[in-house]
Amino acid sequence: MTLHFELTGANAAAGVASSATASPRSGRLVLDRSLNCEASAPASTLAPAAIALETPTFLKYTRHGLQPHLVREVAAELSDMPACTRVQLEDFLEDDGSACGQHDAGLHNFVFLDRSEVLLLDTLDPTVTRRVGKSTNSFLAIDSEGGTKRLTPEVFAQLVDRLKPDIIIPPADYIEEPLPSLTQGKRISKSVTRSAKWLDESIAKSVYPSAVFAAVMGSHSPELRDISAKKLLARNDVAGYVFNDVSLALPFESKLQLAQHSLAQLDASKPRYMVGASAPDAALRAILGGIDLVDSSYPYAVTEQGFASTYVFGGEGAAGGIADASAAGAAAGAGRLDLWQESMFNDFGPLVEGCSCFTCRSHHRAYIHHLLMTKEMLSTVLLQIHNMHWYKGFFADIRSSLARATLAEDAQRFLERYGSSSEAFGELETLATQENSPTTKIQRKRHAEPL
Amino acid sequence: MTTSDEFDNLTTPLETSTSPALKFDVLAKCSTTKARASKMHLPHYTAHTPMFMPVGTMGSIKGITTKQLENLDCHVILGNTYHLGSRPGPELLEAAGGLHEFMSWNRGLLTDSGGFQMVSLLRLANITEEGVEFENPHDGKKMMLTPEMSIGLQNAIGADIMMQLDDVVSSLTTGDRVEEAMWRSVRWLDRSIKANKRPTEQNLFPIVQGGLDARLRTLSAHELIKRDSPGYAIGGLSGGEAKDSFWRMVSLSTDILPDNKPRYCMGVGYAEDLVVCSALGVDMYDCVFPTRTARFGNALVRTGSLALKQGRFKNDLGPIDPDCSCPTCKNYSRAYLHTTVTKDTTGCHLITIHNIAYQMRLMRDIRQAIVDDRFPEFIREFMSIRFGKTVPKWIISALQSVDVDLTAVDEKTGYSATPISDDFQKVPNM
Repeated sequence: MTLHFELTGANAAAGVASSATASPRSGRLVLDRSLNCEASAPASTLAPAAIALETPTFLKYTRHGLQPHLVREVAAELSDMPACTRVQLEDFLEDDGSACGQHDAGLHNFVFLDRSEVLLLDTLDPTVTRRVGKSTNSFLAIDSEGGTKRLTPEVFAQLVDRLKPDIIIPPADYIEEPLPSLTQGKRISKSVTRSAKWLDESIAKSVYPSAVFAAVMGSHSPELRDISAKKLLARNDVAGYVFNDVSLALPFESKLQLAQHSLAQLDASKPRYMVGASAPDAALRAILGGIDLVDSSYPYAVTEQGFASTYVFGGEGAAGGIADASAAGAAAGAGRLDLWQESMFNDFGPLVEGCSCFTCRSHHRAYIHHLLMTKEMLSTVLLQIHNMHWYKGFFADIRSSLARATLAEDAQRFLERYGSSSEAFGELETLATQENSPTTKIQRKRHAEPL
Repeated sequence: MTTSDEFDNLTTPLETSTSPALKFDVLAKCSTTKARASKMHLPHYTAHTPMFMPVGTMGSIKGITTKQLENLDCHVILGNTYHLGSRPGPELLEAAGGLHEFMSWNRGLLTDSGGFQMVSLLRLANITEEGVEFENPHDGKKMMLTPEMSIGLQNAIGADIMMQLDDVVSSLTTGDRVEEAMWRSVRWLDRSIKANKRPTEQNLFPIVQGGLDARLRTLSAHELIKRDSPGYAIGGLSGGEAKDSFWRMVSLSTDILPDNKPRYCMGVGYAEDLVVCSALGVDMYDCVFPTRTARFGNALVRTGSLALKQGRFKNDLGPIDPDCSCPTCKNYSRAYLHTTVTKDTTGCHLITIHNIAYQMRLMRDIRQAIVDDRFPEFIREFMSIRFGKTVPKWIISALQSVDVDLTAVDEKTGYSATPISDDFQKVPNM
């Protein structure tokens, strides 16, 4: 199995004067499983020769391996989605270190994911900002409903061999930082060393040739980040880099700067996945700064608020529809439509006029408003379809803009358009403190206290 | 999932009735029991009976899209007038063009009268000749639901079948109150019929009452027949009464109700109840049970149900039911479902889909067995899998009344059952 990344087209947006490593680039990520040790599998399960993903793009965020609220045949209503899915191990990890029972036909099979999808296995849910749990040199402590679960590199390696994911992000020593604390230097230093050790062990102890995306550690310390980056650069078994500072309580701009600081010392030819950069403004800024991959946790956060996405990236031939002018001014300004509003009660228009998604073709605002008010689960199903469709259109627009070398201006216009609303794109922050899904009593684990 | 095609070779009805908004054709009759298989032509859809109707209380079935419901072969679903009458209310539903348009469902809809919810959900429900008096839960004001108002709400909803507002008493009530309620329900039926503004588009079903009193039930059924309604419901049961009384009241009702019209037994949904009542001549059922139990992680199977949350399913790599062809059983293992039931909405959806598919498949099998005139054989097969050697006595008695004797040894399979006094048996006794 090989994972190959190549840069394509114009790699610098016009007018952005920065080093090649920290500027936006078009790319193509190609997974080839034809050299797999699974070549003896029956013909119907053999992967196509190669799966190609055009970047910048997003990994589909899942919960227990399925997109939130969308069972397979409903998710099939979404067309032209990037063929890459991320799964977090913590969804399946049991107290005894097992996961997915004794199933041994691979994770694709267990969660019924088509083999034409690239499957990335991460450890933690990116929508949860609180890690909590005292990790040691031997294990990452994961807080969950049933108590703290321990993940050692060895267990991770065993699971990789059984689950056979295409890409893995081995466990790293993510630490909890509710507010930046400059006295944490020692702890950060320890996390850099630990993570490097765990990376070594995870790779050494597993046989299955998953591609490795390694986490760049160091928290808010540039010096410690340099040490982490240097270690990664010295390796020849890392296929990509991950920036995951979700639990670091700094503004996004600061986190992006820290990532860019690290990027300057890393191999520019490898793909970069930034966790926590899912919101449209964050994703745009991250992409401008050289990030290739984010995930789709943002649309889920929008759904959980009972909102429908309306943000428009625009530019020539924009795929998204135009936000309905009759929506309340504030809503249009925040890039989403609030379906809880009383004005939705007898509004028989679609969520967004001209949107071609299943929800907008089949239902109207009044019905979705009714479903929310009566706490019916269909509300979040229908909203999630629209919000994912919208997000896909947004990324298609970004790639077009990049291809035309107008990303900097188009992004500037976008950020200005929504910059005046303090609420715009804040749904992930709200989600982190939300206790329940709007329509069920299913409790959200590890929700943070509102600041 | 395929659309029912049981009747492809049967075109001549054995019994038929034509009402302004409903045509009912009995196309096959069981030569042993009182079961029949029929087509019910409704304004929005032609349903096949016996049929189970899932309950979509507020205008949706727990996270399932109407497209999925079609793929699962649902013909008619239920909406609750009480809930829909409060939210979104009749004016909005009218503005939307009725509930079909509002929720984008093209097949059959049935609404209850709102009375049952009112009596069971609301603290202060006082029943007078005028109607049901209750306290509005939102502002505490005294309100009244009359037969005319109930029909008004149901006319706005626009379902193919509406239910009369009846004076519902608990099946455990005895004494004069039961008779009073029965006669009042007849008077409320007449008021409902008069109030129906859409008799050529919507059917109004009366409801046979009378509690567990054979005399009252008989009187009720005979009174209702005089109104020459398109179909009839059997109500006031499924409320915790002894099953032996339950089946006798059902059977008594179907003996009196005309053969050429559909019979609807309200609130019945357990598999064994569906099989038995079909043998007693019932055509339509509704129940929240399959969709409600799905949300607790319980998947329905021929032997009862599987509580997928339990630890014993952690390593169970088979589907819920290897014979089921629903999307959940085709693609997911019990082990996978174990990880997600009650934790993610998708886990809930996956079980809901299966449970609806299970009910639909059961009804299809019942219809096919009647068409093939092998319903008694089907009943025995079903009971042997569901219960094994011991079967609740009430089921044995009910089936004996229609010439199916589970206690007699089956020549072909050797199966026979002994009665137990409990009304329920959770797992088969093999």
